[in-house]
Amino acid sequence: MPDMLTAEPFLGGYTLDLGDVAVAEVTDISIVSIAMPLGGGDALANAVQAAWGCALPAPRGTSVSSDGSVTLIFSTPDQTLAILPGVDGLAVTDVAAKLGDVGYYTEQTDNWVGLRASGAKSISALERICPLDLASMSVGGAERTVMEHLGVFIMREDDERFLLLSGSSSAKSFLHAVELSMRNVT
Amino acid sequence: MIINHPLLGPRDAAEFYVMGDADLINRPDPDAEGAAEAFYEYAYLRDNPAGEHRELWYHEQGDRSWLVVTRSTLTHEIMNVEMARDVALAKGRGQ
Repeated sequence: MPDMLTAEPFLGGYTLDLGDVAVAEVTDISIVSIAMPLGGGDALANAVQAAWGCALPAPRGTSVSSDGSVTLIFSTPDQTLAILPGVDGLAVTDVAAKLGDVGYYTEQTDNWVGLRASGAKSISALERICPLDLASMSVGGAERTVMEHLGVFIMREDDERFLLLSGSSSAKSFLHAVELSMRNVT
Repeated sequence: MIINHPLLGPRDAAEFYVMGDADLINRPDPDAEGAAEAFYEYAYLRDNPAGEHRELWYHEQGDRSWLVVTRSTLTHEIMNVEMARDVALAKGRGQ
């Protein structure tokens, strides 16, 4: 029997600390998208409430499960992105088992690369490559936008800490854009 | 240009893709009499107004929603922004 291949992080677990600002690849999360069947909004909302003790996220926002392990990001009025603890294998089977037959679930973990940007100059670095007013974004807020022409989910985890998700196929280009902007402000 | 998205607030036009005349929502009934003529007009004939114009804009780098944006082609002023799904549902679509 051949040896099994082991998945590596898209950026090899890259980290960089420039003092006032730092970036690190996020490698310990799983991502599952949850789409709402036509007319099934209430059933899905009830299932999410029962399973995770939270509501579906409002536009521009997130919602966090009562035990803090799951974060739901608003993506469209009929879809949410669930950020879960990293697991070996597929997270979608756990989500489907937990919520039941009330949504359409798709494994997204391998589609996205995660970067965590932090530090006093994180907004200065990110606002140079992003059309949003990040300073006015509330903690717990999330948006989908572009950075250097690459599509990005951005979530403000704390005053000086942001989670960024972008397409894994352009992970190195995305890191390059973020890192260069960080170097330009330090 | 800034488009005031009904759900997401003011967003840069760079996040959008413009699809042109919002009349594309009004797809003719293919089973109705004169459908061929109606589809010819639907596919090829467009007004080109100097002034108020309703356009479809797609929030491609955002929540992927379609918007109906009413703006002036003379001044670029945006008068109204609606979710295209609400416009279509108000016309009785989605049944």
